[in-house]
Amino acid sequence: MECQDLIKYLSDYIDNRLDEALTRAAQEHLATCANCHVVLDSTQKTILLYRQRDQQNGLTTRHYQSLYDQLAQAFAKKPEGDL
Amino acid sequence: MPCKISLRYVTSVVENTSNEQVGIAVTDEQALITALKQRDPTALAAVFETYADRIYRLGMNLLHDEQHADCVVQDTFLALIEHIDQFEGRSSLGTWLYRVGYNHCLNQLRKVKPSLELDSLDEPDMMPVNFNPWPAPEEMVFTSEITSELERAIATLSPALRAVFVMRDIEELSTNETASVLGISESAVKVRLHRARLLLREQLAPYFGEQFEQTGV
Ligand SMILES: [Zn+2]
Repeated sequence: MECQDLIKYLSDYIDNRLDEALTRAAQEHLATCANCHVVLDSTQKTILLYRQRDQQNGLTTRHYQSLYDQLAQAFAKKPEGDL
Repeated sequence: MPCKISLRYVTSVVENTSNEQVGIAVTDEQALITALKQRDPTALAAVFETYADRIYRLGMNLLHDEQHADCVVQDTFLALIEHIDQFEGRSSLGTWLYRVGYNHCLNQLRKVKPSLELDSLDEPDMMPVNFNPWPAPEEMVFTSEITSELERAIATLSPALRAVFVMRDIEELSTNETASVLGISESAVKVRLHRARLLLREQLAPYFGEQFEQTGV
């Protein structure tokens, strides 16, 4: 496998979507190619960083409550089914 | 609340896909939908608790504005309340909410940029150019500098790539679920995810490469 192929398959490799033969070829390439090894490592870290960042993000408690209260009001107002 | 509530965008996206499941499932979805139809307040609370923050993050990542992201959450759940009686469960509740939330984001983006092109896949495939190693994960503590660097990098992606990256890699939806939310094929999801990852990596590489050199780890 060449660098170009490794990059082409990188996402599938990260997601475990390559068949056995391709996975083995990718691993062999990664063991000997420092550049591709860095690209794989840094791509995985990129994903991890964004995932961690967003775990800390959400509606603030105040907004959460006021949004929910408004929705609960709208929810209660609707007629119950077709009478 | 600053949002202008508009539901006219919603009707076209209601119930248009097959029987997929969002991984982040609310247990016993059918019972939940029945309870929603009966206006059971605990059902609304459960759905809100499961999805409000997720929809908010989708809004933040696509719009970069807290107030607009709040509006996306509000409009999405109002749409649910409005349409729950017609909900037949052909798509899962989670997929449906993401789809409505995503469409609200698009409408907001189009207000700013009416010519917004979303389905363009002409962006050429890129090859990495920066091969500097990055620090170990334990070295990458979330400073405000790192946070703003992540912000800057994701803002360089087109909305089409950003949406796929957010759903697949941050919110961890499956390829199938993401395709269903965005109304594109699974292979388009894979292509976009691949590009988004490589572009983000390349954007961040100078910063983290330098971090590595400085710490010498
Ligand atoms: Zn290589």
